[in-house]
Amino acid sequence: MLLYEKIIKGGKVGRVLEAVDVGFTYGKREIFEKISMSVGNGRIVAIVGPSGVGKSTLLRVLGGFLRPDEGKVLLMGKKVVRPTPKIMLIHQSIVTFPWMTALENVMLGLKYRKLPKELCKTIARQMLEMVGLEGFEDFYPKELSGGMRQRIAIARALAADPLVLLMDEPFAHLDELTAEALRRELYKILFNVNSTLKGVILVSHNLSEVVELSDVVYVLNGRPATIVAKIEIEMERPRNPRDQKFYYYIDVLNDTLLYKGEG
Amino acid sequence: MDLILTIILASLVSTARVFVVIGLSILTGWGFGYISIKSKVFENVYVALNEVFESVPVIAFFPVVLILFVNRIGGFVGVELASDFLVFTAVVWNIWIGIYQAFKTVPISMIEEIENLRYGFLNKLKYLYIPFSMPRIAANLIPSFSDAFFYIMVSEVFTIGSTSYSTFGIGSLIVKLVRLGMWNYVSYALLILGVIIGGSVYLLREFSTYAIARYSLESDIPIPRTKQIQRYVAKFYSPIIKPTKRIRYYFASKYTPVRGRKERGDYDYYSKKEIEQRILKVLGSIIAFLILGIIIYSSFSLLTSITYAEWKYIFSNTLEIVYALAYDYARVAVIAVLSFLVALFASYSIVNHKKVEALVISLIQMLAAYPAPAYFPILFAVTYGIVYRFSGTLTTEFFVILLGFLSTFYYIFYNIWVGIKAIPKEIWELMDNLGMNYFQRIRYVVLPGTLPYIITGLTSTINSAWGGLMIAEYWPNIVEGKSLEVSHGLMKLLDLWTYQGNLMLASWASFIFSLFVIVFSVVFTRNMMNLSKEKYVIEEGIYAA
Repeated sequence: MLLYEKIIKGGKVGRVLEAVDVGFTYGKREIFEKISMSVGNGRIVAIVGPSGVGKSTLLRVLGGFLRPDEGKVLLMGKKVVRPTPKIMLIHQSIVTFPWMTALENVMLGLKYRKLPKELCKTIARQMLEMVGLEGFEDFYPKELSGGMRQRIAIARALAADPLVLLMDEPFAHLDELTAEALRRELYKILFNVNSTLKGVILVSHNLSEVVELSDVVYVLNGRPATIVAKIEIEMERPRNPRDQKFYYYIDVLNDTLLYKGEG
Repeated sequence: MDLILTIILASLVSTARVFVVIGLSILTGWGFGYISIKSKVFENVYVALNEVFESVPVIAFFPVVLILFVNRIGGFVGVELASDFLVFTAVVWNIWIGIYQAFKTVPISMIEEIENLRYGFLNKLKYLYIPFSMPRIAANLIPSFSDAFFYIMVSEVFTIGSTSYSTFGIGSLIVKLVRLGMWNYVSYALLILGVIIGGSVYLLREFSTYAIARYSLESDIPIPRTKQIQRYVAKFYSPIIKPTKRIRYYFASKYTPVRGRKERGDYDYYSKKEIEQRILKVLGSIIAFLILGIIIYSSFSLLTSITYAEWKYIFSNTLEIVYALAYDYARVAVIAVLSFLVALFASYSIVNHKKVEALVISLIQMLAAYPAPAYFPILFAVTYGIVYRFSGTLTTEFFVILLGFLSTFYYIFYNIWVGIKAIPKEIWELMDNLGMNYFQRIRYVVLPGTLPYIITGLTSTINSAWGGLMIAEYWPNIVEGKSLEVSHGLMKLLDLWTYQGNLMLASWASFIFSLFVIVFSVVFTRNMMNLSKEKYVIEEGIYAA
């Protein structure tokens, strides 16, 4: 039984990635069960829940990195059985290759497409420009800040032409100012005209980040974890954190998490 | 039956020799390591000599050993010491430098804590420095054990001129059995040795896991509880422990401020500490100057003792030495490339299959510790016919390269395996996610990401390959009626000159060989290592502030 629920008009937005009754067991411990969720076209979906509840594990099941013990994951109606560049994962710990320049790091996302080298370079440059790293193409990751490295990781993921982006606490290792700047630009970066991206699933602990970015929030709680609430955020973009409605959604999320925490 | 007992006893004696030498390396390593962090003069000499000697293969010490231990000391003691010294030079540098690096990297917060508690020299060692060095020692134990066994096989029996020297152990016994053609007893000896080595490797592995779990600052391995064993050990050794404990308590009550005793003032503590520091500094400087003095004096007396005619003689052979060395470098290059390729593809293939990995690693650890010179004659006898049919005139080269490979492959394998294991989980996920194929993964991630490990492994492999070549290039009567002998090779010349008793030429060849090795180490290895440490550290690819 969901505490708060507003039904998304699935038909209108279309289901890009969908989990149907998914369950996962690690050793003898059942991590989560009967998880059904979806991300629609042009939407950012967030998953929140207490530490250790299985959010990151769920994200890896959705990406095909882990096989569910029950249920299935569908990408545009087709079953996901292994990792694919069509669903790109962005890690909490920012991953860049120290021996490659920013441009080479982004070009790595294009390898599987087997394009001519010059075209790869052009696309990689466009991606870097899109994430605001124009002029930093020849810099090595260790010469850049944490925020800039995360932009490289995002550019590399987008270069792979994904349909869905999975973001596992992407701002956790950034200072608040950098994270806020990146959050403000993120929607514009992700859903620009050149991008093939259709949906984003975000895992976060930060409730104001969730309200700022997402259209739908799934709340995960309990042992084994289930979805205890699904909340639709109805606010215009860009969202103002001082808005009354913003506070309202944070309260709703807090109440949901605390309610299950006591139970 | 008597012979079987002798084989068991000989295997145990050789194993004991190995453990004593490793133990001695660790004990001296703790002492020198501590002095080097307290005395800058000593540190400079100690680290420099370690670096030089680490890059010089063990066989370069052979003529020195023969001159010093066999000729000067002589007798049973001389031969025993010669054998032990060769094994010591095979294992000591890694252990010493490992302990030194561990001592140098003790976190400042821990040092402050121990200073705060006013611990003295022995307690500092006991409670901080020694435990902190345990993971590094543990990491070096199995490779050191393998190295030691490799050299104990060849150093238990050797010939100079017409005299053959041997000391009791499994190496000398196997040589004797092969000469007598007692092949069934050779196979029993190999079997018994295998069991003892297997048991030793198992114990070393258990100890390594325990040491890393207990003493590493960051380790997820659970610490095994050993109370029962401790109780048993305590009970068993209590008569020995008690008197030493009594002595310790006596000194502790006399020299340390314990509860109930009058607390010393700050001034006393600092003056005591300063005295300790000064003693260590002076001691360090004295040892450093002593070592330098010995090196300078021996070089000077050696150079002045050589006559003009002798100089002329050794110079006239120098070109031949360099030419033979070039041949050997080519062989070492083939061994290194072969080892590298096998190690890379084998370790990459097993690393994501936990059960296969556990099995393969155990087998390789066993095989690595099993000395190649012990089983090589059997391998040679069994495969010679087939190899000759396919290789023809290259048969000798094939067996030389094979022995080189068997004696050295493990170093690079371990290193690359550890390197691939160190690739963060996130990077594996990213490679899966980007749909990278086998060769793209190797080319763009695995090779550059494991470069520091590859360089370390390659250096050890190259250094150890010389030992294999030393044995394989000149092996008269390897099996009845057959010898293994190359046409050109410095290791063969070294063997031959030692065998003929021409120690002057053997020493000169060793000296030239060492020079080349040191230059190679400075120019190639160090530069590659610096480059890989600057740019190719895969752990830096993960940003987690």
